[in-house]
Amino acid sequence: MEVKPRSWRDRGLQAATLPLTTVLMVFFLVPLGLTAVLSFQSTRYYRLVWTWDLDTWVDVFTHVHYWSIMAQTITMAAACVALCIALGLPVAYAMAHRVSTLEHHITVLIVFAFLTDAVLKTFGWVLFLDRSGVLNGALDAVGLGPAATDILFTPSATLLGMVYNLLPYTIFTIYLSLVRIDRDLVLAAYDAGASKTRTFLEVTLPLARPGIFAGGVLVFVLSLGVFLEPKVMGGGTSPMAAELIRQSFETRVNWPLGAALTLVVITIGAGTLGLAALVLMRLSGRREATR
Amino acid sequence: MIKTTGTRKPAHPTRRTVLKGTAAAAATGLLGSAMPRRASAATSMRYMCWEGYDKPSIIQPFEQAHDAEIAIDLITDSAGGFAKLAAGGYRDFDVVSSDSPWIARMGPADICEFIDDAEFADAYESFYPQFQAPFAPLQWEGKTTGLPTRWGWVGPTVNTKFDKLETWSSYAPCFDPAYRDKICVLDWGDWPIMPMALYAGINPYKELDEAELAEIRKVLRALFKNTRALVGDLSVAQKGLLDGSFRALIGGGTYCTSALRKDGHDYIQSIVPEPKDGLKQGIIWMEATGMLKGSDNPELAKDLVRHMVSPEVAVDLAWTEATCNLVPNSKAEDLFTAEQKNVLQMDYMWEAWDKSQFHDIAPNVDEMLAIFQEELAAAR
Repeated sequence: MEVKPRSWRDRGLQAATLPLTTVLMVFFLVPLGLTAVLSFQSTRYYRLVWTWDLDTWVDVFTHVHYWSIMAQTITMAAACVALCIALGLPVAYAMAHRVSTLEHHITVLIVFAFLTDAVLKTFGWVLFLDRSGVLNGALDAVGLGPAATDILFTPSATLLGMVYNLLPYTIFTIYLSLVRIDRDLVLAAYDAGASKTRTFLEVTLPLARPGIFAGGVLVFVLSLGVFLEPKVMGGGTSPMAAELIRQSFETRVNWPLGAALTLVVITIGAGTLGLAALVLMRLSGRREATR
Repeated sequence: MIKTTGTRKPAHPTRRTVLKGTAAAAATGLLGSAMPRRASAATSMRYMCWEGYDKPSIIQPFEQAHDAEIAIDLITDSAGGFAKLAAGGYRDFDVVSSDSPWIARMGPADICEFIDDAEFADAYESFYPQFQAPFAPLQWEGKTTGLPTRWGWVGPTVNTKFDKLETWSSYAPCFDPAYRDKICVLDWGDWPIMPMALYAGINPYKELDEAELAEIRKVLRALFKNTRALVGDLSVAQKGLLDGSFRALIGGGTYCTSALRKDGHDYIQSIVPEPKDGLKQGIIWMEATGMLKGSDNPELAKDLVRHMVSPEVAVDLAWTEATCNLVPNSKAEDLFTAEQKNVLQMDYMWEAWDKSQFHDIAPNVDEMLAIFQEELAAAR
């Protein structure tokens, strides 16, 4: 059956997508618009004052600490992406090719860990990493002395928590791209005399790139909004963007500031997604050109 | 044009009226079927309050005595609760119990009814003299915004197994290199900021100039150098204090102490540092209960306020699952056991009172919170 390309001007298409468009308009664009409106107001003594001025935006663009927190958030998100890919790729590869008989068991275990409440897991890490926690108890028992490790309430602990909670996203996206690779291509590389390493680097890895890329983008965007890990595992002294926004809304009750900072984070996330889409289009275009 | 958020009671039917009408219609339709007792109550009320005020042993006797049903909405932070009411939510509630500066704000914000002290003379009679009418912290231009319900003090919370109390007769250890990475700051809004301002020799409850705000910035910067964690979750703070990871909790005071003491850790104490350069270093916090504007049941709302400050309820309110707190009711003191008095540090409460000033509306709270956020971001 021939599938005809359809224009967005197609009345039938417009009618078919109207319910979804309406839902998106109401539950995404309208709140986003209200957030933008809020960012042009101001507060005094915890009360919202309708002023329609640029004071909040001037505040956002002239205070270095907001941007240092944004930069720290982006750095942590990038580090989280790198670690998630570095850890997720071998796990996904093993699930797809090495322990395929245990594939379903491993999937169930990861999904189980994934579905466990993040609050519970994060507080579990506190008990594990604490100066008087399980890890230091074990290290003390083997003669390394009490409080041999002291990473709780540091940025490293925040990163650990982020990687732990977001790793399944990369594992599953990379796994899905790996299982879709045509096995004949790998066998052909072996027939041509390529070693396992070279086959992996020149056949498997390039073909798994969309999954790696998608997993990376997903983790990056989710990392921009992490809230629990910096607060609980990081000890709150190295706040990230979400905590900055929470503080602005809740502690300072400065809703216009919270709204403006929310828009900044949304812009960073949307920019990342846009950039990723552009790179993917370039890559697919280059692939088409080389065929 | 500057337009402030409207707080006037609207002339048209309130949301509560509409909801009640709908509920009444639904209830009529279900007449004859087996309805639970609460649903058949003659009157329904909504009560916004902190955890503890919702104890069944407190609420149920009132419901039974007045054939009323009380729906509870718990406050998770005072500012958030105020913001919700100020945004029009006050129309949906009858009574509110929150921190006293917020109740004090609700009168002038036209959210809360002012109450007649004479009408509550019987309630005031059972209070300690310090809380009797006219009670300044809950007054605005001579008009009373609510009645006090629970109180305590903010000072260093210390584990005396690790530190002598005398060490904390001042906030100085917060800035001592010997305490680097050993201080826990409670992430509870302005609570940790106020003691630091007092240590800097600044009264944060008056209008501050730029130089004074700069001093507060300096002292917060120094505090964060020694801060191991900024903790919002009380259990994490309490755990660290017990095992010695945190040598002192700053900004929590008795709110952090009592639950640990209740569990038998009576070596945990919250104290108040000695006055410094004539400035009291402790802060008395208080919760209060007020009646919201436009209640459909103003008399019942008054009865609920009266119920919440009665001696029997005061004892129940002081002793809750989450925290234990002092109450302003002197008649309740006779009803506490010796163990309860010990947990509440009642032998120390008037010393703490004398060395403290009252937590009130701070004119520069917005600037101080901004400074706190900036210095926290720059700390690492």
